Amino acid sequence: MDGKVVVITSGKGGVGKTTVTASLGAALALQGKRVAVVDMDIGLRNLDVVMGLENRIIFNVVDVVQGKCKLKQALIKDRRINNLYLIPASQSDEKNVIQPENMKWLCKRLKKEFDFTLLDCPAGIEQGFKNSIEAADDAIVVCMPEISSVRDADRVIGLLYSRSIEPKLVVNRIVPKMVERGDMLSHQDVVDVLSIDLIGLVESDESVVVSTNTGLPIVMQKESKAGRAFNQIAMRMNGHPDLPVEDPMAPKSFWKKLGGRIGRKNRMQS
Amino acid sequence: MMMFNTLLKKLMNRGEDSRQVAKKRLKFALVYDKLEIKEEMLEDLQKDLIDVISRYFEIDRQQMSLDIERSEDSSALIMNTPILAARHKKPREDARA
Repeated sequence: MDGKVVVITSGKGGVGKTTVTASLGAALALQGKRVAVVDMDIGLRNLDVVMGLENRIIFNVVDVVQGKCKLKQALIKDRRINNLYLIPASQSDEKNVIQPENMKWLCKRLKKEFDFTLLDCPAGIEQGFKNSIEAADDAIVVCMPEISSVRDADRVIGLLYSRSIEPKLVVNRIVPKMVERGDMLSHQDVVDVLSIDLIGLVESDESVVVSTNTGLPIVMQKESKAGRAFNQIAMRMNGHPDLPVEDPMAPKSFWKKLGGRIGRKNRMQS
Repeated sequence: MMMFNTLLKKLMNRGEDSRQVAKKRLKFALVYDKLEIKEEMLEDLQKDLIDVISRYFEIDRQQMSLDIERSEDSSALIMNTPILAARHKKPREDARA
C-alpha cells in the first residue's frame, strides 16, 4: 500500500515548521515507520542542519527532479535513527526550477518506498508553497499563539481547503504562564478562530534551541516537554488519532496555587 | 510585586487583558481579509447591475458608482445611480427584444 505525503506549512516564517518537520520525522521513524523528509525551501535550505545531516549532502531535490541523480542517491540516511531519510533542498537554484508536476512525480515514487513523506514547506504562498501542496495527501498547519501567525495560518488553511485538503493544527511555542496572566492567546482562542482540528500543542521549550544547536532530535530527549509533545503528535498521525491532546496550561489545584502565592510573597518580604 | 500588579490590573479593567485584545483584533482582521475584493470583480458586478437596472429604468451610466463601505462590525455594498426615467414597456418584452 502507498504511504502518505504530509505537507508541514504555516504561511508565516519563523513559527517552527522546520523543527516540527524534523521532530515528527524522527518520532515517526522511532515508532517504526519508514520516513522521508524533504526540504522544499529551494535556495534557503535548513532542514539538513536542524537534523544534523548538513555535512553529508551530495545531491538535492532539484538534482532528483532534473534527473541528475537517482532518487536513492539523494536520500541521506540518518545514522542514529533507523528508517529516517532526508532529501535536502538545493542552495543555489531559483525557487521556480521545480514545478508542481515534478513534485507529483517525486511524491508518487516516495510513496512507494515510505510510509510517511513529510514536506517542509517554505514560508509564503508562492511557488514553493504551490509545489509543496500539489502532491500532498494531508497537511499540518503550524501556528504560534500570536495575531500575525494565526492570520497567515487562516489564509493557508483556505488555500488548502480549495485543494480539498483538510489540515490539522499544531499550536507551537505556547507560554502557559503568559496565557494564564492574560498576555497570550490560548490554544483554545486559536482553535476558535481557525476552526480546524487540533493535532498537538507544543510548549515553548528552551531545549529546542539546544537540540538545534547540536543537531540531535528533540524527540530523543525524554525530559523535554516539546519532545514529548512531538512524540504524541506522531502517534496521532500514526494510527492513534484519538490520543488526547494534553493541555499545557492545565490549572494547578487551588491549594497548590495558593501555596505558591503565599510562598512567593513571603520570599519577597524577607 | 509582579503578582500584585497583575492582580490589580485584572481587577481594574476586568476582561480587557492583552490576550482578549489580541483575539478581538484577530477576528476583525480575518473578517476584513475575507471581504477583500478584486477591482475587476467590482467592475463586472457594476456592468451586470447596469444591465439589469436598464431594463426597468433609464439611468445615467457615467454617474453610477458602486463601492464597498466598511464599518467596525459590518460592511455594505453601496450603489448610487441617478434615474433619468422609468421604462414603461413590460421589462420581459424589453429583455427579449
